Amino acid sequence: MNSILPSRAMRSLPIKQVVTHSPELKSFLFEQTFEAEPGQFVMLWIPGLDEKPFSVSDVRDGWIEITAKAVGPFSRALMECQAGDRLGLRGPFGRGFRPRGRGLVVGGGMGIAPLRYLVHWLERDRAPFRVALGARTAAEMMFVGDFSRYGAEFATDDGTLGRQCLVTGLAARLCADESFDVIYGCGPEPMLVALKKLADERGLDCQLSLERHMKCGIGVCGSCCVDGSGLCICREGPVLDKAELDQVADFGLPHRDATGARKPPRT
Amino acid sequence: MNPLAVQIAGIALESPLVLASGVLGTTASSLRRVARAGAGAVTTKSCGRTARPGHPAPCVLPWPGGLINAVGLSNPGVEAELEELAEYRRTCAAPLFVSIFADSPDEFGRLARRVAEAQPDLIEVNVSCPNVESEFGAPFAADPEACGRVTRAVKENAGAVPVSIKLSAQCASLARTAVICRQSGADALTAINTVGPGMWIDVGTGRPALANKVGGVSGPAILPIAVRAVYEIRKAVDLPIIGTGGVSCAEDALQLIMAGADAVGVGSAVYAGGVEVFGEINRGLSAFLKERGFDSLAQVKGLAQREGRA
Repeated sequence: MNSILPSRAMRSLPIKQVVTHSPELKSFLFEQTFEAEPGQFVMLWIPGLDEKPFSVSDVRDGWIEITAKAVGPFSRALMECQAGDRLGLRGPFGRGFRPRGRGLVVGGGMGIAPLRYLVHWLERDRAPFRVALGARTAAEMMFVGDFSRYGAEFATDDGTLGRQCLVTGLAARLCADESFDVIYGCGPEPMLVALKKLADERGLDCQLSLERHMKCGIGVCGSCCVDGSGLCICREGPVLDKAELDQVADFGLPHRDATGARKPPRT
Repeated sequence: MNPLAVQIAGIALESPLVLASGVLGTTASSLRRVARAGAGAVTTKSCGRTARPGHPAPCVLPWPGGLINAVGLSNPGVEAELEELAEYRRTCAAPLFVSIFADSPDEFGRLARRVAEAQPDLIEVNVSCPNVESEFGAPFAADPEACGRVTRAVKENAGAVPVSIKLSAQCASLARTAVICRQSGADALTAINTVGPGMWIDVGTGRPALANKVGGVSGPAILPIAVRAVYEIRKAVDLPIIGTGGVSCAEDALQLIMAGADAVGVGSAVYAGGVEVFGEINRGLSAFLKERGFDSLAQVKGLAQREGRA
């Protein structure tokens, strides 16, 4: 039996530094009190408000970093937090990316955050990789400078950065021009569905990071179980491999809400 | 013959291990996964008449002795739950126990009637959730007479579906509660629910870490309490008992069986051991029986009730 990791108990830590990319997009650095792999996540608690999962956007020099965009009440409150404020930070949770061979790294929107840590890992391991990133507009593209160092290609819906197309279009073209062993993906689920299809067509492996409504983060409450295999996204995920994705019956379909009910299909 | 096979309330289980309510019990897919991992039966997360999102997060926290939770009875409502159960039935043969909660005996009765129409193998009556007191008041389980009223209301509506009452270790008298439940028609008892409520404070901020402030304590820390509770209930009544609380390994399960349990609930152990814990405990139980020359778990049941020198 595994022991219960002490770092998963609730423990607040002061924010060491806040990096402001824009008023609505910031990174928060904490002293690194546990190891985390790319694709794993932490639970971040704002006392008196709520607790939410955030992927790790980097680990370096004894610091652990998460990056958030203002989208709801929680992330808006997070934007107000400053160095010295104490937040609950526990982890690491879930299974991350398992690097292998020549990789195509594909991210969309906020899904780009964990890929930054992934490419740092791939670079450290001297693993060959290419990067394709997409966002609605240039202002929402994270870590452009950092990813540009790796020759990343960019796509935006409005053409304000890189090509005006979907990131899956960039990915398809890269797959036609070059050979890869695996596609790493994180972003909106329709993007992931397209990447899975691309991997199937090209005979590539893929590792895609999924999102479901998460409560406990430790594989107990069942809120984030996918339909089909019943795997917990918080524990066996969030990164699933090709064989696991084939057993996700609700891949690309509406998920469940906090009550456990299936949400009605989007119209 | 399968030495781990047991019967409770006329239900045949391939293993004495029952997925305890509240863990991985919301969807057909997750219940099926646990059954395939080796559970003899699975219990759904408690469902009520209408959908509830439950308490805000943090709502489940690990600590060195186990877990503390205030999930707060989140559930999609009985109608959505019944659809899940139908899907489970189509794809999995392991017996299905459906846990229900309500705020009055009448409401328990109405819910039991609706659930019984889906023909689960057993209805488990959650009268002992310790983390919704601000909303529902003290659990019915704290009061033996109230347990009796709920039991009667459920039995009058459940038809032929057997009914187990899920008791709390914290009540005026477990023995008296068990006797009243039996007199009121209970077919089985599940003991125990989480203990407490308890509280976990983050010392960095000086705040309770659960959003609900208090929550039910489960995991290894409560095993001795569960063992004592099952022992007391077995002394008082001859009903089948699903002994539940803090089981993580075969020896823990054997303690509950030797105290008098017929089946053993496993829940929080999924945190440390994953769903694979069901297979591991089954293998440990089989090894114990073989090594000690027992043919079945029935020969082990209640051993601790003997008095006098060995």
